[in-house]
Amino acid sequence: MELFERNACDLSEMIKSRKISSKELTESVFGRIKAVEGKVDAYLTLDKENALKKAEEVDAKIAAGEELSPLAGIPMGIKDNISTKGLKTTCASKMLYNYVPPFNATVMNKLESNDVVVTGKLNMDEFAMGSSTENSHFKPTRNPFDTDRIPGGSSGGSAAAVAACEAIVSLGSDTGGSIRQPASYCGVVGLKPTYGSVSRYGLVAFASSLDQIGPLGRCVKDVAMVQSAIAGHDRYDATSAYREYPDFSAALNADVKGLKIGVPKEYFGDGIDPFVKQSVMNAVKELERLGATVKEISLPSTDYALSSYYIISSAEASSNLARFDGVRYGFRAEDYDGLVDMYERSRSEGFGDEVKRRIMLGTFVLSSGFYDAYYKKAKLLQRRIQQEFSDQFADVDIIATPTVPTTAFKIGQNTDDPLKMYATDICTVTVNIAGLPAISIPCAYDDKGLPVGIQLIGGKFTEQRLLNSAYAFEQLVGGFKKPQL
Amino acid sequence: MVKGYEVVIGLETHAELNTESKIYCDCKNQFGLEVNSQVCPICMGMPGTLPTLNEKVVDYAIKMGHALNCNINRICKQDRKNYFYPDLPKAYQISQAEVPLCENGYVDILVDGEEKRIGITRIHIEEDAGKLLHSDKFHGVSLVDLNRCGVPLIEIVSEPDMRSSQEAKVYLETLKSILQYLGICDCKMQEGSIRCDVNVSVHKPGEPFGTRSEMKNVNSFSAAVRGIDYEVERQISVLESGGTVEQETRRWDDDKGVSVPMRSKEDAQDYRYFPEPDLLTIVVEQERVDELKKSIPELPNIKILRYVKQFCLNIKDATFIAESVSLAKLFDDCMTKDKFHAKCYTTWILGDLVKYMNATGKTLEDTKLNPENLTELVEAIENKTISNAGGKKVFAVILEADKKVSDIIEEQGLAQVSDDSALEKIADEVLAANEKSVNDYKGGKTNALGYLVGQCMKASKGKANPGKMKEIILKKLG
Amino acid sequence: MNIDIKHIAKLARLHIEDDQLEKFESEMQNIVDMVEKMPDIEDEMTLDPSNPMRLREDKAVQDKFTRQELMQNAPQVKAGCLVVPKTVE
Ligand SMILES: [Mg+2]
Ligand SMILES: [Zn+2]
Repeated sequence: MELFERNACDLSEMIKSRKISSKELTESVFGRIKAVEGKVDAYLTLDKENALKKAEEVDAKIAAGEELSPLAGIPMGIKDNISTKGLKTTCASKMLYNYVPPFNATVMNKLESNDVVVTGKLNMDEFAMGSSTENSHFKPTRNPFDTDRIPGGSSGGSAAAVAACEAIVSLGSDTGGSIRQPASYCGVVGLKPTYGSVSRYGLVAFASSLDQIGPLGRCVKDVAMVQSAIAGHDRYDATSAYREYPDFSAALNADVKGLKIGVPKEYFGDGIDPFVKQSVMNAVKELERLGATVKEISLPSTDYALSSYYIISSAEASSNLARFDGVRYGFRAEDYDGLVDMYERSRSEGFGDEVKRRIMLGTFVLSSGFYDAYYKKAKLLQRRIQQEFSDQFADVDIIATPTVPTTAFKIGQNTDDPLKMYATDICTVTVNIAGLPAISIPCAYDDKGLPVGIQLIGGKFTEQRLLNSAYAFEQLVGGFKKPQL
Repeated sequence: MVKGYEVVIGLETHAELNTESKIYCDCKNQFGLEVNSQVCPICMGMPGTLPTLNEKVVDYAIKMGHALNCNINRICKQDRKNYFYPDLPKAYQISQAEVPLCENGYVDILVDGEEKRIGITRIHIEEDAGKLLHSDKFHGVSLVDLNRCGVPLIEIVSEPDMRSSQEAKVYLETLKSILQYLGICDCKMQEGSIRCDVNVSVHKPGEPFGTRSEMKNVNSFSAAVRGIDYEVERQISVLESGGTVEQETRRWDDDKGVSVPMRSKEDAQDYRYFPEPDLLTIVVEQERVDELKKSIPELPNIKILRYVKQFCLNIKDATFIAESVSLAKLFDDCMTKDKFHAKCYTTWILGDLVKYMNATGKTLEDTKLNPENLTELVEAIENKTISNAGGKKVFAVILEADKKVSDIIEEQGLAQVSDDSALEKIADEVLAANEKSVNDYKGGKTNALGYLVGQCMKASKGKANPGKMKEIILKKLG
Repeated sequence: MNIDIKHIAKLARLHIEDDQLEKFESEMQNIVDMVEKMPDIEDEMTLDPSNPMRLREDKAVQDKFTRQELMQNAPQVKAGCLVVPKTVE
């Protein structure tokens, strides 16, 4: 078995016991990148030089007998909307094609102090708006299970890189499903943490009240390890929660006896592919066999979640993306006549169509005369959805649903119909609207060999329980299967 | 009333708070430093940065709220006001729209001796914008300095309760002195630490309020007066010539003395306010609100009335002292000793002290004057230990040196001679030497008395108590 | 519901070419149609004091960044300032 194929939890032991060096591992991963990146296109920027330097540093520390984090020396890829000091952060947009942040996102400082080796920056939908990574200004990323297909999005690069073994683990961001949906399409594990558990400082904002950074990996334990490293209060993020978090990976426990699983009927309706439905139901049965109890529940407002999501996220996005005006950083149009023209040209040439569409929608729903009918109503619906979830969590421990209604679709298949594209988020957006944690883990492969994911949703700050349930399931059914590339 | 019209004025006053750091980042809040030297990724609006609210800003705004008799909304939120301009890096200003920190207050001002109550609609917290630099030398471009971005502001919105530019000026001066009393704003007009937007309308008596125009860029109180007067004249002449006043935003050009429309109606602003998602609800504990209320000193507008009523000061003197934090403190401290009449102190404070401060450019804090040495001085004069002329000499010393009044009197030999036998001796000598004047007086030329007293004072080298001296001479002249 | 695309674009400082206007309009219309299926809710937004914000202590930190670092991404810089087309004053 090649080093790049192994999981972080094993590699961590091997580095610690000096069976391998981080440098060997890092070189192995970059070798893999060289071999398959041409087919996958997961990365926007590679940082081999610094990665090797960091790996050597870690090896020196271990040789000196230093006690290091379990993530020390592990190569990790970072979604390109997370600010990395001195390393280009483009959000896959022409608008930021040359932008180099002068500061680190808080998560990057945390990873740095955990001695993680950063391989580079991963492709995504422009400004995280999209579900296929086709909205990248630079190039589409391909699904390692079928390179004619999309990897999902917006964290498509993060999921594809991990699935293709071009990174051991990665960071993505999730506003409406952007970690879980590509994780599902690429057969990896992806965790969207509780809103407020991971600092957003340095994450280029799409929708501030919904965005959350989270980990992707090939097994539950790897994801738990990364989550332990990045979770925590941050005084630079006023929305980050004041609380302590356990060491999720050390506390992993596969015992699900007595776990109460809710299965919401609204998530198994007509829009869901029968094979996906069946696979998820089978997975739930497996957990039941392990001693969990299963109960059908109802979350009636689910139907409106997508509308509520598109209003809130677009409204916030229209404001968050207003700062890209060609004055302080990023793209400025070459020819313009005066200030307003400079603004309009820079923004029109710098943003792609999907971004413009959302900015327009967001501007519209906030504009005078429409605020109450759209934005305010969406916020009221959000409160209702939150209430429905918290009512259910009085009764069940976790809720199981499909992550995405279908398996990965072909590149170009949905690009002409925004609504069809939006519909792929139907199972995931409610979680962001409610601020809850959720995890996607592979649970089946269809006849084309394409992965299907199951989504487990928990109450606020119940990441440990979610990880435990996922871990139990993984132990039982097996998880990631390496694609042929 | 101007030319048969009633004038209605409301003011939106922005005051920069003198906190150590900015409102949403830990950059230094300081005026006048090198361009773009007091900025960081947060106040520059770099992608991914987030705001964190400075607790002092909330405290200061609540203090002002108490001072202006407002209800304090101890549970409130912040909102984004969206618009594009190069001095606004995020393209939105974090402000408060729906629920301001303070609302429904009032302030009593004194216009020509009459008390008048001006309603305060609200006080909210928000961030300042940067500055654009213009020059013909820049060849078609403007330069942007972001140092001021994120300087904390409170915006104080008045009800349309003012009826003349004079009232507006007094209102602004009252706000300024209150801000100074609370110590929350430097109130340096030349640095723009207080600025206001003026809403003006006119109407015929008995008719409803007219359409108002909003005038921005009013950077001094005198400019506010000029701007209002101009705008009133403009609106009246529009109405008189049969036109209608437009609801519009205008910019006051103080150099040219005119207001000009800022933007046309078709691109009317739509700020698309919505709750700031990067910040949670502000919740101030009731105890904190009460604590802040207790910390509010007696405010200048209240002080003025008290000085007039309690100490019989005239309004001009009362206002002058009350509007200066340090003069009022000196005066109040002296008065609490409850020894002498207010006049004994105001003579010195409004006379020699102010003259000295004006001449030297020093503040009261720069001098050595304090309630103790001033009271000692007043006491020495009232006890007739020294003369008024001697007092002036002592005063000049205690302004600059840490010396006891009694020591100065002794050092300079300023003590008046009141001892009868010593004075009688002087009188006898002088009367003997000035026989002509004595005869003049006796012959009915009463002004010869002044001459004789003067000669006695001279002979005593100024130390004689002049009142007593006069008494003795009168007795001797029989 | 008629959306004034040009007005919205103006507010958003986006320039939409005439030949794209129709496409944008119909896509936006579809989204708005979806959104309009939301049920009516008779309720008011209220503030949530159960999750209060902690405030930052008023302390300044100096010299965290050099001007050079902060301006390195700017398209145009002059005399330590950002440069924009002349704003009409
Ligand atoms: Mg304002
Ligand atoms: Zn700053």
